[in-house]
Amino acid sequence: MKTSWFCRIILFTVLVFLVGPSFILFVASLSEKTLSFPPQGFTFKWYTKAFSIRMFKDAFVTSLLIALTSTFTGVLFGIPASYAISRFPFRKKELLKLAFLSPAVVPHLVIGYAILRFLIARLNIPVLFGLYLGHTLIVFPYIIRVTVASLSNLDSSIDEAAISLGAPYRTVLLRIILPNIRTGVLAAFILGFVTSFNNVPVSLFLTGPGVTVLPLQMMSYVEYYYDPTVAALSSVLVTFAIGVVQAAERTLGLSKYF
Amino acid sequence: MFVDSFRKGQTWGLDNYIATFTNPVFRVALLRTVKVGAIVTVLALLLSYPASIALVRSQRKSFYMSLIIFPLMINAVARTYAWLVIMGRYGLVNRLLASLGLSPLQILYTEPAIVIGLLQLFLPFSILSIVSALENMPPDVEEAARSLGANGWRAFLHVVFPLTREGMIFGGSIVFTGCITAYVTPAMLGGPRVLTLSTLLYSRVMTLFRWEEGTVIAMVMLVLVFFVHRTLRGRARAGVTV
Repeated sequence: MKTSWFCRIILFTVLVFLVGPSFILFVASLSEKTLSFPPQGFTFKWYTKAFSIRMFKDAFVTSLLIALTSTFTGVLFGIPASYAISRFPFRKKELLKLAFLSPAVVPHLVIGYAILRFLIARLNIPVLFGLYLGHTLIVFPYIIRVTVASLSNLDSSIDEAAISLGAPYRTVLLRIILPNIRTGVLAAFILGFVTSFNNVPVSLFLTGPGVTVLPLQMMSYVEYYYDPTVAALSSVLVTFAIGVVQAAERTLGLSKYF
Repeated sequence: MFVDSFRKGQTWGLDNYIATFTNPVFRVALLRTVKVGAIVTVLALLLSYPASIALVRSQRKSFYMSLIIFPLMINAVARTYAWLVIMGRYGLVNRLLASLGLSPLQILYTEPAIVIGLLQLFLPFSILSIVSALENMPPDVEEAARSLGANGWRAFLHVVFPLTREGMIFGGSIVFTGCITAYVTPAMLGGPRVLTLSTLLYSRVMTLFRWEEGTVIAMVMLVLVFFVHRTLRGRARAGVTV
């Protein structure tokens, strides 16, 4: 069926609106002196600067560490939980589902604030651990959603057959379920990692002296300096994102999980 | 947190709420947050619907899809920073205006700046949910309506639109709740003078250490989000049975 010109023009406008700013930012990152578009001069020096600034390096390492550990924890607990949610009928099921999915409903800013107010301020939990806790909490819903979706595509008679042949649950989970849902698990891991790595609202309240994450470090840098360093750093992140999206959309069909 | 919001020192009561709600700064921020959220949601749905229709029918669908999800992979700071380059005092827009001989505009640190930033941030979500609604629709209903004599516009209005209403409501609720709890955009594009609930919460807690007020603001946000989820989800479900 023919699509009207009106719809196509809107689609085109939307795509330009979504992608255009990143492009402009990339061009501006090549500017010689201050951040401007069209750029003045041409240089790559802001890229070398972005990679040589110590606070960006530290923040990047923290972000990476938190994103990896929290996503790993999320997957570790998320897979058995998803299995229970999708396979067993039990009374407290809705409650369990609610508990795992509620961080998707509760604003992230509120989660960060609550952890600061009631865990860090009261119990003196170290900052890094609070950060890890908060991020683990927010990656759960994504991981559960993706693994439940891939479990429901898997015929339940396969694992029932294994159980009826005497395999213990651990074996079923490790040798029957996991190999069959591995693309789902990979998608869950990518989604969880991206969520944690890019998160600002939770980290906002949970970063302490000397401990900060990359997005927040970028934000505070922007407040004090008006040079294209952050533009250069953003362009690097954009390049990574394009790579991840291309790979993930081709192999996993990531867009259906958002 | 709910319990704690009623406590002030050793006494309990509604004091914290009364103190917060009578504060004009809070009231302005609350109204602004809801207003900005509503504007962004309406704009997002108005843009997403035609765009999704064109997208679903396009032959280069997967390419367009990846263009739409790739912004979701980048942190909000990087995405919002681009708007500083465009809307800043010496940014792209003001340079264009200057070259046309017009006086520069103050766009940054205003409400419209926040609206634009949030719209760019949350458009992918409304597009994705409308696209999935359009794809879940049985493919031949529209053709059936047309073969029964409905013209294109009528087929859309009476068949396609009602069938995808749930997707719109779902997408709209994601956009709205995302907007009212967003921090980065109002912080970077709104500045310290155009406060929203989230930036107000941050400044009250982290610079003034007014915990009681912070807890009340967090509760207000939580209630707003729950309320939106409940009513909209309820309506979405009712829409299916009708």
